[in-house]
Amino acid sequence: MTARWLGERVPRLEDTKLLTGRALFTDDVDLPGMLHAAFLRSDDAHGVLRSVDVEAARRRPGVVAVWTAADLGEYWKPGPALVPPPPIAGLVFNSATQVPLAREKVRHVGEPLALVVAVSRYVAEDALDDIVVDVEPLPAVTDLEAALAPGAPLVHEALGGNVAARARQSKGDYAAARGRAHKVIARRFRYDRGAAAAIENRGVVAAWDAKTEELTVWDTTQAPIPIRNGLAAMLGLGESQVRVVAPFIGGGFGPKIMMFYPEEVLIPWAAMRLGRPVKWIEDRQENFYATTQERLQIHDAELAVAKDGTILGVKDRFLFDTGAYDPYGLTIPINSQCTLLGPYAVPNYDSEFTAVFTNRPIVTPVRGAGRQHGVFVMERLLDLAAKELGMDRVAIRRRNFLPPDAFPHDHEILFQDFAPLTYDSGDYGPAMDRAVDAIGYERFLREEQPALRRAGRHVGLGIVSYIEGTGIGPYEGARVTIEPSGSVRVATGVGTQGQGHFTTFAQLVSDVLGMDPSKVQVITGDTREFGWGTGTFASRGAVVAGNAVHEAAIRVRKKVLKLASEVLGVDAGELFLECGSVHVKGAPERSLRLGDLARKANPLRGGVAPGTEPGLEATAYFGPERGNAANGVHAMIVEVDRETCEVRIRRYVVVHDCGTVINPTVVEGQVQGGVAMGIGNAFYEQLVWDENGQLMNASFMDYLLPTALDVPAVEMRHTVTPSPLNPLGAKGVGEAGAIPAAAAFAQAVEDALEGEIEVLEIPLSPNRLFDLLGSRSRP
Amino acid sequence: MIVQGEYTFPGTREAIWELLLDPAVIARTMPGTEEMVRVAPDRYEGRMRVGVGAITAAEFTVSVQLADVVPPERYTMQIDGRGRFGFTRGTAQVRLAADGAGTVMRFEADLQVGGKIAAVGQRLLDSVSKLMTRQGLESLSKEVNRRLASADPGSRSPNPGPLP
Repeated sequence: MTARWLGERVPRLEDTKLLTGRALFTDDVDLPGMLHAAFLRSDDAHGVLRSVDVEAARRRPGVVAVWTAADLGEYWKPGPALVPPPPIAGLVFNSATQVPLAREKVRHVGEPLALVVAVSRYVAEDALDDIVVDVEPLPAVTDLEAALAPGAPLVHEALGGNVAARARQSKGDYAAARGRAHKVIARRFRYDRGAAAAIENRGVVAAWDAKTEELTVWDTTQAPIPIRNGLAAMLGLGESQVRVVAPFIGGGFGPKIMMFYPEEVLIPWAAMRLGRPVKWIEDRQENFYATTQERLQIHDAELAVAKDGTILGVKDRFLFDTGAYDPYGLTIPINSQCTLLGPYAVPNYDSEFTAVFTNRPIVTPVRGAGRQHGVFVMERLLDLAAKELGMDRVAIRRRNFLPPDAFPHDHEILFQDFAPLTYDSGDYGPAMDRAVDAIGYERFLREEQPALRRAGRHVGLGIVSYIEGTGIGPYEGARVTIEPSGSVRVATGVGTQGQGHFTTFAQLVSDVLGMDPSKVQVITGDTREFGWGTGTFASRGAVVAGNAVHEAAIRVRKKVLKLASEVLGVDAGELFLECGSVHVKGAPERSLRLGDLARKANPLRGGVAPGTEPGLEATAYFGPERGNAANGVHAMIVEVDRETCEVRIRRYVVVHDCGTVINPTVVEGQVQGGVAMGIGNAFYEQLVWDENGQLMNASFMDYLLPTALDVPAVEMRHTVTPSPLNPLGAKGVGEAGAIPAAAAFAQAVEDALEGEIEVLEIPLSPNRLFDLLGSRSRP
Repeated sequence: MIVQGEYTFPGTREAIWELLLDPAVIARTMPGTEEMVRVAPDRYEGRMRVGVGAITAAEFTVSVQLADVVPPERYTMQIDGRGRFGFTRGTAQVRLAADGAGTVMRFEADLQVGGKIAAVGQRLLDSVSKLMTRQGLESLSKEVNRRLASADPGSRSPNPGPLP
């Protein structure tokens, strides 16, 4: 078995379909007799829901059905708590999950109040106008600290407070470390909310076939199998009666692994009740408050350092805005808590977070999922410490890197997968060396920056390190089948949202079965093709599903060799696979095409040896004992216009170590996309709320996404430290670009402004930067 | 959103008071008002159509409840407007003070705006509310002048005060 395809820049096999408009997206599904749904959503962030009068809407011509919470009967149930809290001593967790349609109270703008199904979306939306809602407004909970004060209005009265969770994780003795410190750097950091803003909004189409008693659901979900299982349970069907298809999806980024959205619960139910297919496609406006979001955290953090820059300990107390409900548990704040430690030796750590309910839309992971907050706080503290100690910022990082012989390194706290936060492998010095080299660190500081400053230009450099915990369990699976045509089909349960799964999974099979990746057909996200697995999240597709695909291919190869050795009458050791055939070593003209072999593996007459399995097919599963630790360094050079406060990114370098690289083009695409998101997060994107919980910029007129002009082409380098936790040695990369961008940006802007301001918050914007500068520099 | 200002009308407090509370005058002078009915001595109901940026004609059903009415000095309005594109609600206080031959009206409204109109029209709300206020006051002032002129055909109306 030679590694001919592993590590090759195979062009993305899915792109032909995507670029020629032949990829099926949920909104492409168009069925005979299909009806269209629209949701009436709350204009109030917080209030008592007195009544929802839908009589006039029901009378509108073309309207087929209108439902409110009261009409759902037994079907009305709060959604499941998706992620149970990890076993952390003393942990407080108050679960409050979203409901299909609001009843008694509304808790955030955009919460659905009624569902209209009509002959067209136009009629359905017109009927929304006919509905009369009576809400008695309540004061909204929007400020995290005020939410915790006595007498604050309550998002969930039954809980008696707005605390969703509280958890403290610590190691060593921070207080003692602080006592020994040469300097203690303490600051408050704020990291605000943004939208995932996938190019494709959410959508659900459901069709019930009364004759076969089968429900088919097309859903823009990152987790088709759990959606199938959940829908079957809710609707009283067997899991095999429900087929969930997550076709091509225009970006997931996390919110599409949230389940169950009210629309996912109600559209299949409506289709069954009406006996007709029903489609709902989210519009961009809805997406701003009906799809989950992330990122408001406020950290009061301090770093205790020795005179030589050695980290003695870190203390962090932070607030996390979980929105109106907390179905996703503590994944985000635990990621923040863990990721803060970064690639550094931190002997003493004391971190406690409080998750707070607010009258804002639900918070679930968005690309990075809390990791960026940890990186931002730690990297900013190190920058400030370096300044105080008169140290070089790269030097303070190098001083504290875990050495290459420190692995596995146990951080003595729990990660989001409930396993101890133990780094499997890593080598941080070389990644920093490469970044320093690629960005030209020394020369920039010594020559370029002083020269540009003399010319009146404000240029700065940012360089930060990070760890990305990736590839967590529990498991994924795959089935590999050689068809009589000679082509190979790979079916896996994970859904795909643009990551390049069709290419990387094909490459993993190609080497094992000796065939061109273009001959490998990959099927993802269709529960009828593969029914076991969890979904696409936590940068785990290549690691978890990839290893399952690889193992299934190895098992098929064994079957191929066994059968071929019987047919050809030679020892299996004398055979090799190449160009879709099995050949005999030394006599390559003696060969069998894999397709012919597949036909022989499925005899229609005659006898077979007991125990024989038909076909050249195998299924395999892979589950790592715990997540692995990818790492990297981001470095950028920015220029700040001191007058307009516009920031241009001149260069952006990423050195990333995701272990074994299956396809560098795919990895680089992931990193480039992540960096674009990180830049948006750092300088453009912010959801702005007023004190009444109203979102004030719910359109792309006012919510600014970075454009192609704002995002530079990332210069990429790789280092490779294979993970010992999986046979491929792979680590994840899906979130790597997004995680450290804000920390690098903050450092670079600060550097460009020669320390005139401290950047302690994200996102910045030209306006915000102007205000920060104004408050400092105008006497 | 706070909307406040002052405006000097010609005419006595009593005359201005009567105008301000006349539903027909409100309907004529308040921009976008399509209907305004006094359903009780202290309550008005009606419909308004307002454009804010991308939302070109948001229709609202509006109710105004009067409180703390001290003629011809002051009154408070509880405003509740709602429609497909969101809601506006809050309170507005109006005070009238004699100023020579004219009357100074001081007003302050504290309004909450919600729903789509807040979500996509935010950056224009301030300018739209200022524009509507100015247009409303100018038409009201014209109305005052018209009435004064018809009451006393020989007199000329004084120049209205500066805009808020």
